[in-house]
Amino acid sequence: MEEELLKIREVSKHFGGVYAVNGVSLGVRSGSIWGLVGPNGSGKTTLFNTILGLHRPDEGAIYFNGTCISHLAPHQIYALGLVSAFQIPRLFQGLSVLDNMLVAARGHQGDSFLNSLFLRGDWQKQEVEFADRAMEILELLELDRLALSPAGELSGGQRKLLEIGRGLMASPTLLLLDEPAAGVNPKLGRRIFEGIENLRREGLSFFIIEHRLELLFDFAHWVYVMDKGKIVVQGEPQDVVRNPEFYQIYFGE
Amino acid sequence: MDPLVYVLDLIVFIGIFGIMSLSLNLEFGFAGLANFGKVAFFLVGAYSYALLSEIGVSFYLCLIAGALVSATVGFLVSLPTLRLREDHLAIVVLTFGEILRLVVKSERWIGGVWGMAVSPAISVAGASARVGVLVNIGLVYLCLVICFLVVQLLANSPYGRVIRAIREDEIAAEALGKDRAKYRAQIFALGSAIAGLAGGLYAQYIQFIDPYMFMPMITFTVWIMVILDGPANNWGALLGAALVMLFDRGTNIAKDYLALAVDPSNLQYILFGVLIILILLYRPQGLLRESKVKTKAIDRVGHGRRATKNKGS
Repeated sequence: MEEELLKIREVSKHFGGVYAVNGVSLGVRSGSIWGLVGPNGSGKTTLFNTILGLHRPDEGAIYFNGTCISHLAPHQIYALGLVSAFQIPRLFQGLSVLDNMLVAARGHQGDSFLNSLFLRGDWQKQEVEFADRAMEILELLELDRLALSPAGELSGGQRKLLEIGRGLMASPTLLLLDEPAAGVNPKLGRRIFEGIENLRREGLSFFIIEHRLELLFDFAHWVYVMDKGKIVVQGEPQDVVRNPEFYQIYFGE
Repeated sequence: MDPLVYVLDLIVFIGIFGIMSLSLNLEFGFAGLANFGKVAFFLVGAYSYALLSEIGVSFYLCLIAGALVSATVGFLVSLPTLRLREDHLAIVVLTFGEILRLVVKSERWIGGVWGMAVSPAISVAGASARVGVLVNIGLVYLCLVICFLVVQLLANSPYGRVIRAIREDEIAAEALGKDRAKYRAQIFALGSAIAGLAGGLYAQYIQFIDPYMFMPMITFTVWIMVILDGPANNWGALLGAALVMLFDRGTNIAKDYLALAVDPSNLQYILFGVLIILILLYRPQGLLRESKVKTKAIDRVGHGRRATKNKGS
């Protein structure tokens, strides 16, 4: 059996008396695309934020690559290669599109205070490579023409794409995407998923929340269905689609 | 008084406040930290200089030590205020500055209300007032150039990009692997070190310090300098310092020539208020634009795009 990249054991998170995530256990294996679906308010985003360290889980443990990450700060989790793109893009609006990408580069030597002052030669060389990769990703997302414009000038869909691009820029091991195809046109939505599939072949793993089921189910290898803070159904997409419980939760009677 | 000395004196003040303005620009302009306790670090630098020079330490060591002590205080202040957002941070550091001033005022061993005499950094035996001020211009502007280079190099580096990113969205920066507590503490320490250096230069130039010279108005004056000419632009910070200092001195001179119902030096505060309101209403980004992050890699991308554009047309 393949090794589980991300392992979540009995994780709960409540806000006051409301259990947003209630005893969730699941696993994500490397080299595949994993889906997470469920009605609005079922706790998907809370689960993602808990994985990323933005919320501390009240109970349970989260392992990434065998390391327990439930008590690490978000920047430490990022350093391990577990990276996300927010559902509502949180761009650095005053910075250019390219700068937004470069902030996300993992292991940039110039990010440290002393290096940026005294080792200018070293990080400048490194940054040229980062910039080349950033431009490749921007090209894929059709944002390369806007590389030097402020991120605040992008349209809603473009912001979404840049948010995903920033996640890719980190060369993560596992990328969590929260509704990558929401708010972009259907053709581009499919292109995003095709891009994701290409990156998967290169060894990246994905864990994706998406309401556009026709897209997600075409590409995902395994789908978890969440309702009221719990995982209620899981399986391969073609099985989940035929599951009556899934139908009732998602589409109603 | 010799009018030339008056002009030279103005130049020294522009230099000292230029350093202050650069320091606040680093903290607020680039990193978004609303440091309303600027004067506290100015005070720490000035008193450190005074105390050390009293026991006979040479002036450059006094200046460096003043900056280091101030940096330490800045670092310590950053720790409890780590989680505070803009306005809360502003209130806490503002009160910190005022409390520190009151403590200094009531401590006898550092002069209390009577203040301390400070020996000048470089004194030329038998020289005229002009030469004395000229020497100070040299010293102050040497320090200004060093500070400018440091802040400018930082602003145009990945580090500068990260602190701007933290200014724009702390949570997103944290989720993209940036330890915001670390960056915040570093910026506080460096900004305070620069302000401390300015304080040391100020103390040795005036040759006397007392707690009344470190009123919160100093902080607000530096803020006007930064807001006036556009945060996150180092040239703007210097231009702002020059304009505000000219205005400050101008109203003092005007006092002798204009017969107004209001004392011009009080009128100056009113005018500053009006000026800030006008700037915030009509040009909130300041007179100059925010400077972009400039590194070799970004220049390359810029050139590449221009080249393809030219081909296309």
